[in-house]
Amino acid sequence: SVSANHLNSTQFDLKTYWTTLIAEIDNNLDQAVPIKYPEQIYEAMRYSVLAKGAKRAPPVMCVAACELFGGSRLAAFPTACALEMVHAASLIHDDLPCMDDDLSRRGQPSNHTVYGVDMAILAGDALFPLGFQHIVSHTPSDLVPEARILRVIAEIARAVGSTGMAAGQFLDLEGGANQVRFVQEKKYGEMGECSAVCGGLLAGAEDDEIRRLRRYGRAVGVLYQVVNDILEAKSEIPEDEEKKKKKGKSYVAVYGIERAAEVAEELRERAKMELHGFEKYGEKVAPLYSFVDYAVDRGFSVGESS
Amino acid sequence: ETLEDNPKPTFDFKSYMLQKANTVNQALDASVSLREPVKIHESMRYSLLAGGKRVRPVLCIAACELVGGDESMAMPAACAIEMIHTMSLIHDDLPCMDNDDLRRGKPTNHKVFGEDVAVLAGDALLAFAFEHIAISTTGVTPARIVRAIAELAKSIGTEGLVAGQVVDIRSEGQKDLGIKDLEFIHEHKTAALLEGAVVLGAILGGGTNEEVEKLRTFARCIGLLFQVVDDILDVTKSSKELGKTAGKDLVADKLTYPKLLGIEGSKALAEKLNKDAQQQLSEFDQEKAAPLIALANYIANRQN
Repeated sequence: SVSANHLNSTQFDLKTYWTTLIAEIDNNLDQAVPIKYPEQIYEAMRYSVLAKGAKRAPPVMCVAACELFGGSRLAAFPTACALEMVHAASLIHDDLPCMDDDLSRRGQPSNHTVYGVDMAILAGDALFPLGFQHIVSHTPSDLVPEARILRVIAEIARAVGSTGMAAGQFLDLEGGANQVRFVQEKKYGEMGECSAVCGGLLAGAEDDEIRRLRRYGRAVGVLYQVVNDILEAKSEIPEDEEKKKKKGKSYVAVYGIERAAEVAEELRERAKMELHGFEKYGEKVAPLYSFVDYAVDRGFSVGESS
Repeated sequence: ETLEDNPKPTFDFKSYMLQKANTVNQALDASVSLREPVKIHESMRYSLLAGGKRVRPVLCIAACELVGGDESMAMPAACAIEMIHTMSLIHDDLPCMDNDDLRRGKPTNHKVFGEDVAVLAGDALLAFAFEHIAISTTGVTPARIVRAIAELAKSIGTEGLVAGQVVDIRSEGQKDLGIKDLEFIHEHKTAALLEGAVVLGAILGGGTNEEVEKLRTFARCIGLLFQVVDDILDVTKSSKELGKTAGKDLVADKLTYPKLLGIEGSKALAEKLNKDAQQQLSEFDQEKAAPLIALANYIANRQN
């Protein structure tokens, strides 16, 4: 059955699945963040949420997890968009001068370099609640009972909060040795975990299935980042010291490329092992398999730039 | 019929506030525990448990009880409102915003923990507020909790706190602003969260739509009232009396009610807003409405 799954994975057209969803998610996000008075803050929010070339990996994973259990795409879209909003909020704040002090993000100037530090803080502060508001006001109540919506809200809040991504960012800033795994899991694993879990929650998955999605999503989130670090190191554009220092908490920087490649392989195996538990859902699990291989192989380019 | 019989018992506002604030403080203390990473949680707790009069959480609970709910139904929401309020203060005090060193008589969060932690602690409080309502509210149907979450979210973002802050920042030093701009700032910066507090309480307590809307109007009036009084105090009191930097509106060349209407005009406006607010409560059971009536009077007459 492992080989059958492998077959599914290779036959499944992830590129079409992904690009179709990106178009729909981008369209929803465009409508969810209109420009109103006071325009400046909406423009700052849109700048980051609608950044060109965004891969929309969290929303796509959320939709795929929801569809795995027979949930409707319509049930998942509002949460999928919310994931992108809270993710953008976290990234805007991570880039601030008092944090990572990054001047660019996704190949564009970072939010605060365009709109100012004050607007960037406020744009983040507004995107978090907008995400929650979007879920509660747009999720069709005939498709998703309110009790499930509450679990989704709690899940997203936990993921971005003081024991989740905020903890990862804090530990990354603090420095200190031997925390690379923990920091990576918090900074990059949480979003993957949360995305997969929310999809399952919306579709009414069982608790043991949610736990499985949790481990799967976390592994894929970290895997994606580890491979990013490896690709960046291999492309070997020499980085200035400043930037190197900030990238201290990557597997490549701490253990070197070879060990990072081993970690990536372990993560790929772990993610797929979790998916074996969903075999009874047949080919609907194919998108989740293909994310794992895509994270490693990057077989096609999604979006307009990486 | 006896001499002891008091036909119109006076409401003891002071002991009501003390008792409610005490319960809220205990609930807040329990809600954010010291966990790893310790420094973020210390930072969250530093500002969240820094005292303050807990006006917003008490409003939330009072509204819940007014429509027939129990305190316990509104307590997680009351705490969430205070978390949001605290988060907005932490971020407002940052050097890139209002650059304040003093808050509630203590050094501001970033002065103690650094700017990076202050930003993260604020973000974490914001997120936790939603988590707390979603998982800790008991005795209320999920549908009502979801409705409360929608209201809370609205009161924070670009239709609430953030919108007020944006227009406030942009208005500094501008000469051609009028009462409409000032109202927009305060309806969003201050009134939105007070409205959220009252409306969340009313929804969670099981209020009818009509009751919720009456209380919403009440909250909007006391929200503006709160700011008018704040502006008056900023020019009439010292930093020591306020527990925060006095006169900073003048220094920052901010638009204020005294600047537009004069001190006397501002006081007259405050009086009208208080009257309009209490008008909304006239059809409720007056004994049950006593805490909200007293809260409105308290906001109107406070000295710091």
